[in-house]
Amino acid sequence: MPEEWQPLAGADLLERLRVTGRPRPALDPTMSRRLHDRLDEALESCIPTELGPAPVVVTKDRLTQVLTCEAHHVASQFGERRPSQAIACGALIDSLFRQLVVTGHIDDAMADGLAALTLDDHQRALVEWINQLPAPQRSELAMEVERQAAGLVARWPALSPEWLPRTQEPIKASLAGGRVLLSARIDLAVGRPAVDHASVGIVELKSGKRRAEHRADLHFYSLIEALRSPAPPFMVATYYSRTGELDVEPVSEDLLVAAARRTVAGAEALLRLATGAEAHRTPNPLCGWCDALPTCGPGQERTGTSIPQDESGGDELAGEVELSDGDEEWQ
Amino acid sequence: MSSSPHPASSAFVSPSVNAFTSQLLAPAHTCVDDVARQSVRDHLLSAVPSLVDELPAGDQVVITLPVLRQTLLGPDGTLRVDEPFTWKPAFVRRSLGLAAIESCLQHRHGTPAEAVGAVADEAVATWVRTGWRTFHWEPWYGGLTVGARSVVLAEAATWATALWSGVDWNQFASLPTTGGPDDQWICTAARTVRLKGRSELRVGITAPACCRAGGHGGGGSEDTAPGPSMALLSVSGGIPSEDWQTELGFLALVASLRSPSRPVPARVAGLWPDAGAQRMIEVDAGILGAAADRVIAAVSELAAARRNSVA
Repeated sequence: MPEEWQPLAGADLLERLRVTGRPRPALDPTMSRRLHDRLDEALESCIPTELGPAPVVVTKDRLTQVLTCEAHHVASQFGERRPSQAIACGALIDSLFRQLVVTGHIDDAMADGLAALTLDDHQRALVEWINQLPAPQRSELAMEVERQAAGLVARWPALSPEWLPRTQEPIKASLAGGRVLLSARIDLAVGRPAVDHASVGIVELKSGKRRAEHRADLHFYSLIEALRSPAPPFMVATYYSRTGELDVEPVSEDLLVAAARRTVAGAEALLRLATGAEAHRTPNPLCGWCDALPTCGPGQERTGTSIPQDESGGDELAGEVELSDGDEEWQ
Repeated sequence: MSSSPHPASSAFVSPSVNAFTSQLLAPAHTCVDDVARQSVRDHLLSAVPSLVDELPAGDQVVITLPVLRQTLLGPDGTLRVDEPFTWKPAFVRRSLGLAAIESCLQHRHGTPAEAVGAVADEAVATWVRTGWRTFHWEPWYGGLTVGARSVVLAEAATWATALWSGVDWNQFASLPTTGGPDDQWICTAARTVRLKGRSELRVGITAPACCRAGGHGGGGSEDTAPGPSMALLSVSGGIPSEDWQTELGFLALVASLRSPSRPVPARVAGLWPDAGAQRMIEVDAGILGAAADRVIAAVSELAAARRNSVA
């Protein structure tokens, strides 16, 4: 009978992050320049003449949304995002992970997480929503947050201060003469700036289920880091606090080039939409939860209804239909 | 207190950080004489008062680097939002982060991430014991729960780590001045116009050959070895604007107006850690003049926006 899978913990988890199985990329300042030049060239050729002076900001969520369905992206830009159990859980776990990295401990997960969110103006609506949850739902949320926090405490090793751990680090790259701004906020970055080899590692924390686009998010981070630093990160990783799964991926030039292509494709669409151009509609598995569904023919054809599903359903706690993990970059 | 920074932990420094720091600490290439300094001052004094004399009595205009940037956004960027002040982690990160860096430079801690908690706890303990507030945020921070405190510490640690990694501290011959009071200059007018410049580091550097009369050495801090020339370092979020030279020049302008007995900064460096960007200017009369023109334009923009909002 096969042994039950156990999540990595402590020194093993750390080793998995440090050793990717591939040599770390050598410091190559010309690579950053090459990437910049290729992106500039590609983006400048698709900048609409009627574009306003403000840069088009490209974040991982906007990129994913617009490449999934332009109409969904446009619909997501209006109105406040409706809080849900999944978004609340994600925001609380993000705060608790940060606390664990910085202080080394989590005492009362729900209280600590809420206290942290209370200091963030952008989370005001979410905190209010959590505080007004009926007792059973709040209890369900608290139970999941406490379970995931206990997993973090049990498995995550203390990070040496010598590795310069940074939490919620903002990273940006300006392209096409300032018309396009790539922007991200990294949950955890470790490592000093490169001396002769890439030395920075990037970790993204997810409280929901694994999804294919999580890797694309990390590739986007790698690209920005490669554009703003003399070397790309040597690895990018997603840690799933729900299960303890860890996806680690070494960063190569091929990965960066692919990320650049995807970014150009998304930025091209965002630039076009920024001028008020009509959004293309692409039916996809998220149509059932899209705010645009009531007015979207292709979406209704796919789902067989014109009524979007309620995001506050219990399934989301498991991240089944996580439209966004609640960490859209703060502007 | 040690006079030499040399943090053992910065033994490995990237080539770009090394080059940036060398450039920051190199002997000055330019100097601004008192005649040029007075000329810029006179220019401001002749242009600014008429721009604000129609503002309500008691109103004042404060020009800082962020305000200067906002005025580029036009009227929308210049209107004041009259929200009552409340402490936020973002308001604490610079002062706590700089104190953490100072602590590292004094060999009390190895990295900012190690230092922030201890520095914050010490500040609160001092306030509890003596009532003295070094940073002003002590009562607020002291009243936070563990979870909320961790956000404050994390913000400061991340901010300070960016500066800590962005400079090769081994190249400093002695401790630079971290933070310190803002440079300020008040323009004499019917309504107060106050210029405030904020730099993260100040360091004495060797004066250019043309000014080297007294044999002052470079590489010392402003306090320990006042030389005839000084370099400033400013840390900003986001990406450098197209007007970054004038923005860095603004810091030199305010520092030069603050007191005629202090040297005009010979050099101003800017770090934009989010974008991994480094920029530097050598300060001359042209840079100061351009910064003064920008200040005049900003005051004009702000005064017009306020008059319009009243109307």
